[in-house]
Amino acid sequence: MVLLPKGNPVKENANPGKINLPGALEKLQAGKFSGYLRFDFPTATGVIIFEQGCLISSLLDDGRERLIAYDAIAAIFEQSLEGQGRLDVYRLSAELALSVHALLHGDLLYKGQELKLIDIKLLLTRLKDLAITGCLRIYTGDRVALIFYREGNPLGFFHDGSTAIETTADTSMSVARLPGAKIDVLTTKGVGEGMLADLLSSADLPALWRRILEARRPAPEPVASPAPSVEEPEAVDPAVREAESRDELLAAWREIAVRHLGKIGGSLVEKEFEKNLSGALDTAALNVFYERMGKAARLVAGHGKVSALLEEMGRSAQEKL
Amino acid sequence: MDLSGLQVILWLVAGLVSFYFSIGNARIWTSISVGFFLILFGELLPKAMPFLPGTGIPQVEAMGLIISTIAILVMSHGFQEYYVFSRTLDLEGNKSQVYLVTLAVIFASQVFILINPAPDADTLRTIRIVGNTNWVFLSLINIDLIRKIYLNVKDSPIGKGFLAFIAVFVCIFLWKGSELYIQVYRLDLPAVMQAYPARYQISQITNLIGNLLASLSVGGTFLYLARLLR
Repeated sequence: MVLLPKGNPVKENANPGKINLPGALEKLQAGKFSGYLRFDFPTATGVIIFEQGCLISSLLDDGRERLIAYDAIAAIFEQSLEGQGRLDVYRLSAELALSVHALLHGDLLYKGQELKLIDIKLLLTRLKDLAITGCLRIYTGDRVALIFYREGNPLGFFHDGSTAIETTADTSMSVARLPGAKIDVLTTKGVGEGMLADLLSSADLPALWRRILEARRPAPEPVASPAPSVEEPEAVDPAVREAESRDELLAAWREIAVRHLGKIGGSLVEKEFEKNLSGALDTAALNVFYERMGKAARLVAGHGKVSALLEEMGRSAQEKL
Repeated sequence: MDLSGLQVILWLVAGLVSFYFSIGNARIWTSISVGFFLILFGELLPKAMPFLPGTGIPQVEAMGLIISTIAILVMSHGFQEYYVFSRTLDLEGNKSQVYLVTLAVIFASQVFILINPAPDADTLRTIRIVGNTNWVFLSLINIDLIRKIYLNVKDSPIGKGFLAFIAVFVCIFLWKGSELYIQVYRLDLPAVMQAYPARYQISQITNLIGNLLASLSVGGTFLYLARLLR
C-alpha cells in the first residue's frame, strides 16, 4: 500500500488501459510537469514521479515485492493493459516531487503506530536528537498528511490538495485528530535537484509499450488438421484490440486536426478525445465529440474549414472502427 | 477634415464582424464584440453626431465616458478568456452572463451618476483621465496578452489575425496615451501650451493620427479576420 496525499488533481479516476501511456508520459515531459501519477490496480499500486518534465522515479508495490525504475514502468504498462486499473494524476511543486521521491525510496523507522497510544512529544524530541531527515506520515483510511523533517527540524506539511510544502499545520493536524489515526516515521536520504536521471530519455518506452501489446496477443492455436476447410480468424484480446484502434484513431485525428487547424488542433483533439471518448466508442459518444470539437475549432477557424475537418475525421473514424 | 463619420463606420464594422463571430460560438467573442459596440456608444457616436439628444447634459457626457471605460474592460475580458482558451482549451461559460453583467455594470454606473451632484467640468475631466488611464494600461496588457495568444495559435487559420490586433492596440495606446499625457500635464491650458508648444503639438498630432489609425486598423483587422474565418 503506497500512502501519499493527493496534490492538485490534474486527472482523476481515468482508466490507464484506455490511454496511450508512453504518449501521455511524453506530453507530461514536454509540459515540464512536476507531480506524480498514481496507478491503483486490484493487487498493486504504482507511482511515477515527474520533476520539471523529468521522469525521476517509478515504483510498483504489490505488498510482497517492490519494483523500481524500468521494471516498475513495464509492470505498470502491463497491468494497465489488463483494463482493471485506475489512474490519478496530481500536480506538485518540483521541490515536493523530489521529497515524495525520497520518501517512497526511504526506510521505515516506525510503522503503523496508533497516535493515541504514543507520546508524540517524546517522538519529536527523539527525531531532533537523532537529527533525522525524513517525514512523519499521519493517516486514516482515506486521508494522509506528511510532515517533512530535515536533520531533526520540521520543514513543513503536505496534505491533500496542497501543491507545495506548506507552513500551516491545520489540515495535517485535523488528520491526526481523526479516530484511528496512525503514524509512520520514515527516514530519507535527501535528494538534490537535478541529481536524478530522466528515465524517459534513457529508455524507449513506446517500444516497451508495443512489446507488451504484442505479447498480450494470444499465440495462434496449433493446427491439428493439415487442411482445415475454413480459415479461423486470429483470436485477439478485445481489450488490446480496442486500445489499438483507439490509439490509431487518435493518431489519425490528431494528424488531420494539425493539418487543418495547426498545433492547437492536435491539442484540441487530444483534450476532447480524453474528455468524451474515454468510455465506449459508440455513435452517441462520437457525436458528442464531433459537436464539442466543432465548437472549439470554430474559435480558431472558419465554418468551411471546420466542416471539412469534421467530415475528414468522420471518414477516418469509419475506416478505423 | 472631419473624419469622425468614417471612424464610426470602421468601428461599426469591427462591432458587427465580432458580433457575427459570436453567433453560434462560445462566449469568448461575445465580450470582444460587446466591447467594440460600447466604444461606439460611449465615445464615437457623441463626437460624430453632436446633434443627438442629451448632448451637453453633464450626466450624459459622464455616462458616455464611463461606457467607454467599460468598453475596454469588457474587451480585455474577452481577450483574457481567449488566452485562457488557447492555454487550457476550455471554453465553458454562458453568453447571456456577459450581456447581463455588462448591462448591470452600466445600470449601476447610471445610478451612481444620478445619485451624485451633476458633474462639473473638473469632475468630467477627472472621469476622462480615469477612463484614459484604463485604456492606456489595458492596451499595454492586451498587447502582451495577444502576443501570448498569437504564440499559442500562430499556425492556425486565425493566427495572423492576432498580429493585426497587436497593431490595433498599439494605435489605441498612441491615441489614448497622448490624450492622457495632455490631460495629466495640462498641456491644453493656454499658459502651458505657450510654454511647451512642441510637446503640445506632437501630442495633438499623435492623438489625431492614433485615433485615425486605431479606427482604420480595427476595421481592417475585423475584415481580415472575416476573410480568415470565412
